[in-house]
Amino acid sequence: MMMTSIKKLFQLVLFLLLCAKTEAQVGFPLNGPADNRPQYIAITNVTIQVNPSKVISNASLLLLNGKIENIGVGIQIPKEARIINGRGKYIYPSFIELYSNYGVNAPNASKTRGDQYSNNQSGPYSWNDAVRSQLDAISYFKYDEKKSKQLLGSGFGISLSAIQDGIFRGTAALVLNSKAHEQNLVINPKAATQLSFNKGTSAQDYPGSAMGCVALIRQTYYDANWYAQQKGNYNVSLENINKHKELPAIFEVENKLAALRAARIGKEFGLSYIIKGAGDEYQRLDEIVATGMAFILPVNFPKPYEVENPFDAMNINLGDLKHWEMAPANLEMVANKKVPFAITSSGCADANEFFKNLRKAVEYGLSEEEALIALTTRPAKWLKMDNEIGTLEKGKMANFFMSNAPIFNKDAQVLSHWILGEETNINASQTYTLKGDYKIANSNLVDYVLRISDNTKEGQLLGKDTLKVSIQEQLGIYILSFNESKKSEQQIRINVWVKSIDSISFQALTLEGLTQLTDGNTQAFLANLQLVRTEDKKAENKIKPTIGKVVYPFTEYGNENIPKAHNYLFKNAHVWTNEKEGVLSETDVAISEGKIVAIGKNLKLDNYQIIDATGKVLSSGIIDEHSHIGIYRGVNECTQNITAETRIGDVINSDDINIYRQLSGGVIACQQLHGSCNPVGGQSSLIKLRWGMAPEQMKIAGADGFIKFALGENVKQSNWGIESGRYPQTRMGVEQVYYDAFIRAKEYEQALKANPKLTRRDLELDALVEICNKKRFISCHSYVQSEINMLMHVADSMGFKVNTFTHILEGYKVADKMKAHGVSASTFADWWAYKYEVIEAIPQNAAILNKIGVVTAINSDDAEMGRRLNQEAAKIIKYGHISEEDAWKMVTLNPAKMLHLDSRTGSIKIGKDADLVLWSCNPLRIEAKAEMTFVDGVCYFNRAADEAMRMAVQTERQRIIQKMILAKQKGEKAEEKVSMPDPDYHCEDF
Amino acid sequence: MKIFLKIAFCVLLSLNLSAQIGTKIIRNGTLHLGNGEIIEGGVLVMEQGKIIELGSTQKGLYKNAVIIDAKGKHVYPGLIAMNNIMGLNEIDAIRATKDYNEQGEFNPNVRTLIAYNTDSKILPTALFNGVLYTQAIPQGGVISGSSSLMKTKAWNWEDAVVKADEGVHLNWPYLQIAGMDPNKHGEKLIAEIATFFAEAKQYQSMKTPVFNARLAAMKGVFTGTQNLYIHANDARSMLRSIHFFKNNYPEIHLVIVGGQEAYLIAVVLKEFQIPVVLGNIHRLPTHNADGIDQPYQLPAQLENLGIKFALSFEGSWEARNLAYVAGTAAAYGLNKEAALKAICLSPAEIMGVSDRIGSLAVGKDASILICNGDLLDMKSSELWQVYLCGEAIDLNNEQVKLYQKYMDKYKLN
Repeated sequence: MMMTSIKKLFQLVLFLLLCAKTEAQVGFPLNGPADNRPQYIAITNVTIQVNPSKVISNASLLLLNGKIENIGVGIQIPKEARIINGRGKYIYPSFIELYSNYGVNAPNASKTRGDQYSNNQSGPYSWNDAVRSQLDAISYFKYDEKKSKQLLGSGFGISLSAIQDGIFRGTAALVLNSKAHEQNLVINPKAATQLSFNKGTSAQDYPGSAMGCVALIRQTYYDANWYAQQKGNYNVSLENINKHKELPAIFEVENKLAALRAARIGKEFGLSYIIKGAGDEYQRLDEIVATGMAFILPVNFPKPYEVENPFDAMNINLGDLKHWEMAPANLEMVANKKVPFAITSSGCADANEFFKNLRKAVEYGLSEEEALIALTTRPAKWLKMDNEIGTLEKGKMANFFMSNAPIFNKDAQVLSHWILGEETNINASQTYTLKGDYKIANSNLVDYVLRISDNTKEGQLLGKDTLKVSIQEQLGIYILSFNESKKSEQQIRINVWVKSIDSISFQALTLEGLTQLTDGNTQAFLANLQLVRTEDKKAENKIKPTIGKVVYPFTEYGNENIPKAHNYLFKNAHVWTNEKEGVLSETDVAISEGKIVAIGKNLKLDNYQIIDATGKVLSSGIIDEHSHIGIYRGVNECTQNITAETRIGDVINSDDINIYRQLSGGVIACQQLHGSCNPVGGQSSLIKLRWGMAPEQMKIAGADGFIKFALGENVKQSNWGIESGRYPQTRMGVEQVYYDAFIRAKEYEQALKANPKLTRRDLELDALVEICNKKRFISCHSYVQSEINMLMHVADSMGFKVNTFTHILEGYKVADKMKAHGVSASTFADWWAYKYEVIEAIPQNAAILNKIGVVTAINSDDAEMGRRLNQEAAKIIKYGHISEEDAWKMVTLNPAKMLHLDSRTGSIKIGKDADLVLWSCNPLRIEAKAEMTFVDGVCYFNRAADEAMRMAVQTERQRIIQKMILAKQKGEKAEEKVSMPDPDYHCEDF
Repeated sequence: MKIFLKIAFCVLLSLNLSAQIGTKIIRNGTLHLGNGEIIEGGVLVMEQGKIIELGSTQKGLYKNAVIIDAKGKHVYPGLIAMNNIMGLNEIDAIRATKDYNEQGEFNPNVRTLIAYNTDSKILPTALFNGVLYTQAIPQGGVISGSSSLMKTKAWNWEDAVVKADEGVHLNWPYLQIAGMDPNKHGEKLIAEIATFFAEAKQYQSMKTPVFNARLAAMKGVFTGTQNLYIHANDARSMLRSIHFFKNNYPEIHLVIVGGQEAYLIAVVLKEFQIPVVLGNIHRLPTHNADGIDQPYQLPAQLENLGIKFALSFEGSWEARNLAYVAGTAAAYGLNKEAALKAICLSPAEIMGVSDRIGSLAVGKDASILICNGDLLDMKSSELWQVYLCGEAIDLNNEQVKLYQKYMDKYKLN
């Protein structure tokens, strides 16, 4: 009895194995007779791409129960197998889509009205709604018919499907894209994790900026580390981050600089990401290579833009124009540098666009093999599934698609897609070829020959007249329609079907049908194959299209080669030294390897490029203590009153054209400051304006750390129109924010010392601890005297000094106190009246501060004024009667002092950095122009070269615009486009 | 004999008049006339608020005249700040101090002079830098209202008016907004503008129309006594608006305000002789592909193309830097005297008051600046003396007082 039942069970299992999962699922009740079909199929006479480097033709593929039972040329085909003749067809292993949300419909993070300071996720989850690591895509996975068709038609049989919403996005599931019960579609329910810099549907205010996103990711990783150590707290979000640490992590980014940003986070935490790039990696390729990360790259190349109207064309930046031309070459360029990458179809509207662009990438130099690797074996390997998917080998899943031609051929399309050995029909496949010339045997067209074209969408009637025939296929019947005669517009229509086919070549031999004449009568139609035209296919033009050059940065006025430092000798300059020597007339200055090496009369040096500076002024370069140029996606993280954890250095935008514009005004360095939204803002970044370099290379190595503080109307949100819920709303509250924060910071420092393992690392407090320990320095936005006084008291009570008051428009009222405290002042020359707290701002402010002995600078807070800081300094001479030398120091040496850079820049002295500007005349005169600007001995701006560059920019624009117009005329769909302008941020922008 | 006596009496009388207190003679300075000309070491005589003599040598005899020795100094006409809201706006961030933007879209009937606050704290700071006149403009909506030319120092607005309601301001819809259906919103507004002008014109021709303040206020625009200021910056908007008015209302005096891309439509501006009031040229280039100094070069470009233009510095307190945008224009290719003209005579001509102000010329108001150096250069532009219609102006203002107060506190004087 027992034995029988076991035997029966075995039989049942065997049966189930043989008759797999067409309809029914194990464990689900049936409604009606079971409909299990035999899953034993042989596809014969077919060309098979076994793996990216191996093609076998006239081969067979034997499928049993969803797996590949056998594959090869001349293999034995068992009798039970159903045979499908694959003659003329091509089989490829299913592509693997790594960046997808196929079938996943997770709920949005819940919405709130107004400010949202805390999270809306009720439950033991992260404090922030954008951290959604508690979610698993598999819980929301459902077969999606439309998307399935698109993916299968694009060759993708498998998707790594994720919830594409939020910063930490939980786990992604590896699923099959075919139609079946979901239970049978899952290859791996938790195959990867996903992240991004985009908070998605989270309505929580934080993070409100790109740097806030980075800070949140960083803090969350620390929190996860802490969580692993501690007991007593339970948090699903953190738990899952730890639990899924070993899974491949896919990091979606929006451009190449964000890719570098993601890679830096990875490096910081010892994590490897697979970065889902934006397709512009070629614009910063060396840095991309250096990340050592793997990439998922799209082929959704930009469409040509509407540029026929010159006014429209003006709205498109050169970077966007060039990207249109160069994007198809991205994959080739990336492949060339051996960056491992997979290809995604995400962003492509449909299968047509995907294949068209994939072929374009190949046309632009990507090898077919590399493309296939990127679509099959590499993703399989990354998912550690290469023993199951990615190639067509014995024992692997029977996941493949069949096409009518090699897929890199122009008209190839996916005919059917097989997942686990089951076919999904994609493009109704003709089992015959219709192309050819057919002699018409009856009706009134007896003297005509019907010529059917390659794509069977059009044809010709050749005879007395030559008539154009349009051909439409409907349900296997072809409808031919054409004008009765050349002169007539009366249409004759014929229903045609294929009567006989050559059994070897599948060429249609006889066509049969019914003709509907213009008078309504019908006639029989018969046509016999006369000849198959084999047009000499024009050897396909395999020449790689020519494209422009990459420039650094990828925008107007970028250089093909980043300029380098040379040995320069300035002859006969008026040298404004900013040292005790003052102004030296007719003096030579030599620079070499980025440093000032000699100053003197009639210097004679070999191997120096001579720059005749006769009648000109050579000065040290301008330093802007308060700048917001070159910052990506938000200058303020307004969403909390303390955001010391945010770092401008995380979001440097090296592509900002304002960097170049500042160079043209003689600016060589600046402090990129966080805005003035909150009492404690983010950490500054100190950069030199090394135009063309990547973000990390712009940072001033070894510079001290700075941080933005702010006081007054902005931080108490006085000008927001409505009462905000954020603390503080008065100057009284501002003081309390500081006291409380610094005391907490000190307690935290103690705790960290006492118990480094179990104390939660807090990046916000870390920054405050650094301030207390004089490792980080404050630049504080300030206006009225009371608050200036207050912050100095706070600092004194905590044992540190405020480094700089920036704006400081009422500094003149407390100049003596400032002097006593030892704080610097960085102010505007003449701004006032824009809000209540600046009604007593006076243009003599800087002069008074200077006279009292406070180190005083003039700053910009504005990308336009930043390039005229020499003029702003000149105003102080007029309003406050200071010397030219003092005025000049206000934009050079003094800001260098406040940024602790004066030991290396800010004056002309042997050994200092060659950060120099050659002026056409006294730089404090309105006529003055920076003719050349040097940073570290590299000439990044040369007014004479700039003229030529303007022409080059126009020439390059016109070249691409012409090409674009041509592309549109050739039938490509054009899009309207207005480039995003580089932002001109101010303190108060968020 | 009688006639002779009469003549003699008249001569005596006139001599007497010329010699009465109030006659001032500025000598030895460099006279920048504001019309493009310069007289080195010239003489300027003012009396009863007017300039009565001007030249390289003094011709008239003036007893008891006050002699002002301007040796080494530069003499200029008072500057005119067009396209400005000073007097109408005190503190940007405080709603209660803003009086330039009435609610609604079509407001030609609202008049800025009514709201012009002669006690504004901003006006003296503009005056401090030589801005003696301001075109107080309304802002907002499609038709913002009518502007008036005002003095920057006066007892009250009646006193301040130089020319009341000299123009109506139209904000031409910008037809290209990134991310929006580019034309829908703009086209709708343009249609509304067309209807408004058609109805306004119809209204003027009606014998007994039902009173409509908005339509009635358009009268001067159609009769040519008021300018129509079209605020537009991009080439497309300028072309479109000029095309609209030249086709339908050729009688209207058009002035373009803003004009950032005026150089692109120079042919049209020149053909129709449309002057341009340029907005602040201390700005970033509109497009990345533009030359880094395109805005700075714009005035010289317009000058070379033969287009009449004025320079302005929109905003309120910002206008104290008006002379410096002219300085920048001069640094970037414009002749220095032509740059000065763009903030003196050209504004006066555009507003139809060049018979009274805008340059140093006999018969014009004695609104005169005497500068220690080059007025257009920040460093040296400190004013020494200022006259508004002959009256010496005290340049002391709240800011100077605060400066002095704290210089005293710190014993820095």
